[in-house]
Amino acid sequence: MKKFFTLLFLSVTGITGFAQTTVTDSLKEVISNHEGKLTALDERVLVNEADLAKLNKIKVSGYVQAQWEYYGKDLVKTNEPTNTFYIRRARIKFTYEPADGVKFVLQPDFSTGNLSLKDAYAVVNLPFLKDWTLWAGQFNRPDYEVEYSSSQREVLERSRLIRAIYPGEREIGAKLEYIGSKVPLKFQLMAMNGNFTGANAKDVDSRKDIMARLVYSIKMPSAGLGIDIGGTGYFGGNKAKTNQYVLESNGVADSVAVGDYLKKQWFGAEIQLFADVLGGLALKGEYITGTNSTPSTIASTATMAAKKADPNKVNNFSGYYVYLIKNIGPKNQFVAKYDFYDPNTKLSGDAAGSNVYYKTLTLAWQCYVNDNIRISLNYEMPQNEKSASVKNIAGTGSTQLNDNTLGIRIQAKF
Amino acid sequence: MKIINKIAATLMVVTLFSGSALAQAKITVKGSDTMVILAQKWAELYMKTNKASIIQVTGGGSGVGITALINGTTDIADASRQMKQTEIEKLKARYNTLGVEIPCAKDGVTIYLNEANKVNELTLKQLSDIYTGKIRNWKELGGDDTEIRLYGRENSSGTYVFFHDEVVKADYSSNVQSLPGTAAVVNAVKKDINGIGYGGAAYAVGVKHAYVKKDANSKAYVPTAESIAKNYYPITRYLYMYLRNRPTGETKKYIDWILGSEGQSIVTEVGYFPVK
Repeated sequence: MKKFFTLLFLSVTGITGFAQTTVTDSLKEVISNHEGKLTALDERVLVNEADLAKLNKIKVSGYVQAQWEYYGKDLVKTNEPTNTFYIRRARIKFTYEPADGVKFVLQPDFSTGNLSLKDAYAVVNLPFLKDWTLWAGQFNRPDYEVEYSSSQREVLERSRLIRAIYPGEREIGAKLEYIGSKVPLKFQLMAMNGNFTGANAKDVDSRKDIMARLVYSIKMPSAGLGIDIGGTGYFGGNKAKTNQYVLESNGVADSVAVGDYLKKQWFGAEIQLFADVLGGLALKGEYITGTNSTPSTIASTATMAAKKADPNKVNNFSGYYVYLIKNIGPKNQFVAKYDFYDPNTKLSGDAAGSNVYYKTLTLAWQCYVNDNIRISLNYEMPQNEKSASVKNIAGTGSTQLNDNTLGIRIQAKF
Repeated sequence: MKIINKIAATLMVVTLFSGSALAQAKITVKGSDTMVILAQKWAELYMKTNKASIIQVTGGGSGVGITALINGTTDIADASRQMKQTEIEKLKARYNTLGVEIPCAKDGVTIYLNEANKVNELTLKQLSDIYTGKIRNWKELGGDDTEIRLYGRENSSGTYVFFHDEVVKADYSSNVQSLPGTAAVVNAVKKDINGIGYGGAAYAVGVKHAYVKKDANSKAYVPTAESIAKNYYPITRYLYMYLRNRPTGETKKYIDWILGSEGQSIVTEVGYFPVK
């Protein structure tokens, strides 16, 4: 009997031992399999991480502005609509940052009837010169309202003055920029062709136009106040392509030879005041005066048809704009803007011809629905200088155009 | 009549619940990973004594917090660096204010070394040379003849920006391994005998602090209450809270509490240093 139990015990423990060995071997095999899989996954993660790191260097942003406008009767010619829907801007911006301090930007615009390249530039931080960057390509001219993005601006269009002297906002050239990290100072110096952008943007003469801007920021945190004060200067010219007359600001015609250099020079002063008063308030203004020989075409807007400038015409001009912006709660803003532009300060009334001055009052309301959506209601009320030439534009015999415009815009930004 | 009563009762319940929801002031705090343990501790203790308040704290990095402040998705942005001029410009454009900066604690950016590393002291110049890749071997600093392995933060981190601006002062070496938080940096150095990292003083557990000196002739310090308060430690910084507007109501009450004795005692408890 004893032998029987001994045999039974031995056989049971033997089987268990055998089973344990088998289980251990099997577990080792499973672990080894899983180890292999984990190593493979690790390798895949590393590859994916490397790919992701490359993708992280590319940023895509953009915005679409869909708009409806209702025009005053003098902006509506016979058989033309009194109102329209259109896409004011549809932009997508690609930014590639291959390394710290190096950036490439490309931004096309796909708005209604317009496919154009807005920005195409490279920015590099200057080595050994902290806070200094060098820009090259096509980008905004250094001016407050020009650089203030259309996606942020509180009224639908820039001031008439800015549209006239900086058409299209961009230029091709190179810019040196200093934004102080210790000193609240911003300095920009740009050399450019001076021919705006588009098909004819390549320079026609060897001289480059130079533009400089300096802004100093004053902060008064205890009063919740900030003031930016600055000035700009533009020094350039246009080479006459024909020997047509030059009509100076005073209306006196003079001759000009092909190749003569016509002056294009102005100075500006700017101020922006920001106050933390029950939700934020801003008062912003800029005044510019000088001489312009730009044969510029002023882009058409709701309140103004495209205006071809006369070649070889040198005018003294002046203009300004003032914004009052009040934030109402975190989502709403009330805006009142007044701007003035006189393309020829030496001639007035009937003598001014088509170069009449404009004073424009704009009232607007912004509603920021969320991070991405903004709805704008905008009413623009231009008042022109009384001149016989205006009667022809209006076709009604009135010297005051009825060219008020109501605009509603929905902007989606990402 | 029964129906009217039911409607009245339902309205009463709804009113009561909505009333209580309205009564609960919710403040969202987002930003610096360096500050997240401090901000969570503040929120936790404040909510214990202020039952009507809900403080929601998340990290992500100083840059992420400031972006959220500009986008209007947070009430307070925590940042271990000052706001950049470009960020202030965005705030101006959207809210017409410059933002409100509130220094709420002090920190010494700590240089983490593995406990087995023979090197104990570093000058600011040596740190810059290490992180720009000019010094690549511990031997050049009196240590073993082994390659230095660099650990750092991602560029959305305020500590990354501060360390770059105040210490490195040039482009970081491409050999720096970017890690998603200070805890990860500490952990990497803890495991790597040849590693070096930087980050907030409160995170330095299981690694040793390097003594840091301004130059070869200066005295070296580690971040302590005294060396920070007297600005002896050369990589001292403030930790900030940023708001869009001057605080009012519950937000002001919370900030006043943080800057008061109770809030500042938590700063010390967590491992940072009080502002006063």
